[in-house]
Amino acid sequence: MQFLTCATYLIFYVNSVLTYNSDTFTEELLIKPLYSEQIYAHFQFTTKWDVDPNTETFNHSRIFPRALGEIVKRYNVQELHVSLTGGLWRYDSWGYPVTDAAPGAEVWAWFKTDTKDVNKNWKLLANSLSGLLCASLNFVDTSNSVSPEFSFKPTGVTDSPNVNSSYLSSGVSGLASLLNSGYIHNTRYHSVALHLRPVCRDETCQSLSLELQQSVSLVYDYLILGTKNWSLRKLFGQGVTRNCILASRSEIYVDTTTSSTHSFELSPPPDDVVTSIRGGHVSTFGKYNVPNYFLHISAKYEESQKLAVVSPPSLYASQYLTGYGQERGGIVTKLYNNHWDNLNVVVLQNIPWYVPIYLHTLKVTTDGVNNEPITLRYIPGIQRERPYYLEILLKLPPKSATAVSIDFDYVFLKWQEYPPDANHGFYIGSAIISSHLTLARNYTGLPQDGSTITDSFNASRSGYLVQVRTENMVITLPTPDFSMPYNVICLACTVVALAFGPLHNITTRRLVLKPKNNEKLLFRLKRKLTEFLKK
Amino acid sequence: MIADDMACNPRNPRPATVFNNANQHINVYGDDVEVDYRGYEVTVENFVRLLTGRLPPGTPRSKQLLTDEGSNVLVYLTGHGGDGFLKFQDSEEITSQEMADALEQMWQKQRYHETFFMIDTCQAASMYERFYSPNILAVGSSLVGEDSLSHHVDPAIGVYIIDRYTYYALDFLENVDPQSNKSMGEFLQVCPKSVCISTVGVRRDLFRRNPDHVPITDFLVQ
Repeated sequence: MQFLTCATYLIFYVNSVLTYNSDTFTEELLIKPLYSEQIYAHFQFTTKWDVDPNTETFNHSRIFPRALGEIVKRYNVQELHVSLTGGLWRYDSWGYPVTDAAPGAEVWAWFKTDTKDVNKNWKLLANSLSGLLCASLNFVDTSNSVSPEFSFKPTGVTDSPNVNSSYLSSGVSGLASLLNSGYIHNTRYHSVALHLRPVCRDETCQSLSLELQQSVSLVYDYLILGTKNWSLRKLFGQGVTRNCILASRSEIYVDTTTSSTHSFELSPPPDDVVTSIRGGHVSTFGKYNVPNYFLHISAKYEESQKLAVVSPPSLYASQYLTGYGQERGGIVTKLYNNHWDNLNVVVLQNIPWYVPIYLHTLKVTTDGVNNEPITLRYIPGIQRERPYYLEILLKLPPKSATAVSIDFDYVFLKWQEYPPDANHGFYIGSAIISSHLTLARNYTGLPQDGSTITDSFNASRSGYLVQVRTENMVITLPTPDFSMPYNVICLACTVVALAFGPLHNITTRRLVLKPKNNEKLLFRLKRKLTEFLKK
Repeated sequence: MIADDMACNPRNPRPATVFNNANQHINVYGDDVEVDYRGYEVTVENFVRLLTGRLPPGTPRSKQLLTDEGSNVLVYLTGHGGDGFLKFQDSEEITSQEMADALEQMWQKQRYHETFFMIDTCQAASMYERFYSPNILAVGSSLVGEDSLSHHVDPAIGVYIIDRYTYYALDFLENVDPQSNKSMGEFLQVCPKSVCISTVGVRRDLFRRNPDHVPITDFLVQ
């Protein structure tokens, strides 16, 4: 008899007691036609993770990128800001961006207070970031970093002329599918940034959360696009395939404030219209919720010959070089206050060690009148070790232009310190001007307590922090003729070969007079024979 | 390692792309390109350090050659060169002896199992003549005394865009996928003198296997 054996499988359900800390991800795109001939697109990807940044091990993460978490944990980083930018943000005609970024690369970080050797961690952090972001951030070290007192806490600023796009990969879903490298480099200005900081979990601020903002800012030129009538396909190569499944919110905002003067029609019409009153400034936005199917937005301008009056923002700045020749030069930072009231600003300059500045030549003039700085911090640089750090607190009178000028010397570097393209020149980083504005005109920045574009709607505050970054400068240091040693060797060898041979010949030969012997052979034989016979 | 950022140069009329052909057939700078050493980082010192693994502390993993005695390594070099050297940037050059010593050091440190060395430069064969380490298969675009020539000019950017050997090698490799059963021997036949103008040089004596029996996927696979 055959027994049917019934096997009972005991399935042990492993009751996972792993309570997962909640994390949220939002993706937003802000499209804003600028007053002039450009259109601004800002992608904001925000991850908020309800964990304590001080105790989190970053061994497990869901949405938060673990690769970044590991770096942050390892180097004891409290707050990290990285931006890689190509092109220059034109404050005077474009207003303020959502997140400001200096041309080139900029890294600034705050380390936790228990960090033993900040300089060492700083160098290693930069190295790790260079691996993560495929940018030459490993050139960041103490010889080109400063720790400002007012502008922000530990910050290092490096300037690399190019931003590498190799980490921009497409093919993902959600708004990120709009990021196609060919369309990113087709712009007047492009900037990718990463901001990591601890934030309050709620209003009571009993516990902390970790917030990561990743942003991409692009400014397209209508001339490059060929038309003013923009669409997602024209800007990014394709429409949005669908929303990101992981995102709790997936939204596109189109700034329609300028529509009153330059009216354009959006198709399809926005799902919602948001009116934001911020610091006395009213703006309207068309809001699209990205559906789980294909979305394409296009705008069509009405034929009109109206010219928009560009009103520059309250504070903007520029920087340029003065002087001529290869001996002395000067740096001038011009600050423009368009506001009707005084503005207190902090000017931070990180000047490389190969541009030795003289503090006694520092002159601050407002419309030709001397303007005494309120506070001044200066740490002279040391060659090959430390840059020149200059931080000035200034009061800018209303409707004024202020010039901060300082002189420097051109120095020779050691032969090996010149880069391969030495005649290209050397970069001086941008000056950073920080201030609190009372008006939010032209201001699209996120509030300090906010992390998404939605947070900036109706976010009236007592002041609006702006940081204006000026342009980079390129100076040509006295560059030796690198082929000169080769030429000298060639010339010297030729001269030696030509001169040494005959000279050696002349000086080492003994010159002896020898009587001339004209005797014929027959006579000589005859003489020798007679001499022999005589014996 | 790319010294020049041609793709993202603002003067590139076709942003973020580098094509193999004036007719824009293949974008060799696709979205999956990862440049680990760029610009001023591309130096002979960094290249030798990368090969030999003698890197400064704190070097991220993506900037290391994490290979061991089981790894097959492909080294592809291109640029301006001459008899016994290849230029790096506009200021320095790696000599054939340095290259040979670096590979020997790799062998002694068990950093490779087999190496396939490709070089596309003038007098390319001079770069591998000094190799003395085992398990290296080397191919150069020209013999000593020969110039390596470029394929064609792109009038839109006004420069010669690709070298002949690289052009035909790329042409061959475009048809290679992970399931391919082509052999290294076939790849070594690429670019005969009739199209290359220079003679493609091959060095087989250090390599212990017969290249005709080595699948190309041992070295070149996506």
